[in-house]
Amino acid sequence: MPLHSIAPESTARLPRRGLERLDLLLLSAEALDLNGGEAMVWMSEQMGFTTLFPNRVELWKRRCTNPLRRTTRREGLEPAETDALIRILCALADRLYPLLRGLLSSAEPPEVLSERWNLFRSRLADLVRQRMNLRRGGVQLLLDPESGARESRLLIQALALGSGVGGFERLRASLLDAQP
Amino acid sequence: MKQVLQFDQLSCRLKVEGLPDVSVGQSGQNLGIITGWSLAWAGRPELEGRKEHLLALMQVVLPYARYLISGVPRRFGAEPEPVEIGPGPEGGHGLLLRSSQPDTLPLQLNLDDAELADLVRVLDQLRLDSRLQLPLELPEPMPLKGRELLERRPLAQRLAAPLAGLLAVAVASGLGLLIPEPKPGLEPTQPPAAAQAK
Repeated sequence: MPLHSIAPESTARLPRRGLERLDLLLLSAEALDLNGGEAMVWMSEQMGFTTLFPNRVELWKRRCTNPLRRTTRREGLEPAETDALIRILCALADRLYPLLRGLLSSAEPPEVLSERWNLFRSRLADLVRQRMNLRRGGVQLLLDPESGARESRLLIQALALGSGVGGFERLRASLLDAQP
Repeated sequence: MKQVLQFDQLSCRLKVEGLPDVSVGQSGQNLGIITGWSLAWAGRPELEGRKEHLLALMQVVLPYARYLISGVPRRFGAEPEPVEIGPGPEGGHGLLLRSSQPDTLPLQLNLDDAELADLVRVLDQLRLDSRLQLPLELPEPMPLKGRELLERRPLAQRLAAPLAGLLAVAVASGLGLLIPEPKPGLEPTQPPAAAQAK
């Protein structure tokens, strides 16, 4: 069953926190897969989103609406665009599910688990340093050794629960959460 | 005519058995009546039950996953519900299954994050399978309200700012009380220049 044929389209715009989190989840997928950026473009074409994102630059520009970015774009995203990005994210998470599972499983030996988390967190930190505004509190929280570990786990957990056939609705609802 | 739907993940396998409901014109491929189900876990006892138990499992596990994805681990399915799930005391997720048989103790399973994700995936596969022609009363995933999101911050952290504010007000009031009041009988002394002009 294709992932993009289940839930109806949304009419709600993502709030600021939702845009931040969506981009961080996409960044986490990139940290897990070295070709994640290319995979996103490929997924977008495969899922029929070429009218929304005709090329990689357009896809990149949509991701730059994240207020935490070093070079951020002020315009908001249309619900159709955010839905398409969430569907791409869910498809990536589904493809990466064995890796996500490997990070979340307590059945793995602790040394192996620790090695995997260190690798993921160092890749994520590199990507965050390259692309995000390091003066923002949310970015500093991600790079902090203690809170960063907790945030990374929440990101991986969200990707795992957002993968699969029902993941899109769950993930979209979470990105539409009210501001605390 | 008996149909079996099977969904596999690394740690669990869900099998749902049933029949097409021919009274509403369902064909042989569909499943409109659930006669039984089983959930096999690697290294754990197999769970079995009737349709009501499967629905109860879905009604607590899927909303729990919905809250968890927002970083809010909340308990679902309080007694007398047959299934309960909540954050475990030592991490993980505690799944409690209460038997409808008398004198049978509830079964407690502690799932790690990966096992929970596997369980959510098989339940999603089942509820969205086009062969399952059965209305399932499951809540739609909805955005959480601000108040619900506050739960993800510990109580001490949430109370810190208002308590610090109250303390600051109390200290400021205490210091204000220490300043002596002017005595009512004394007139203010006049400056010497004003006295000469008189």
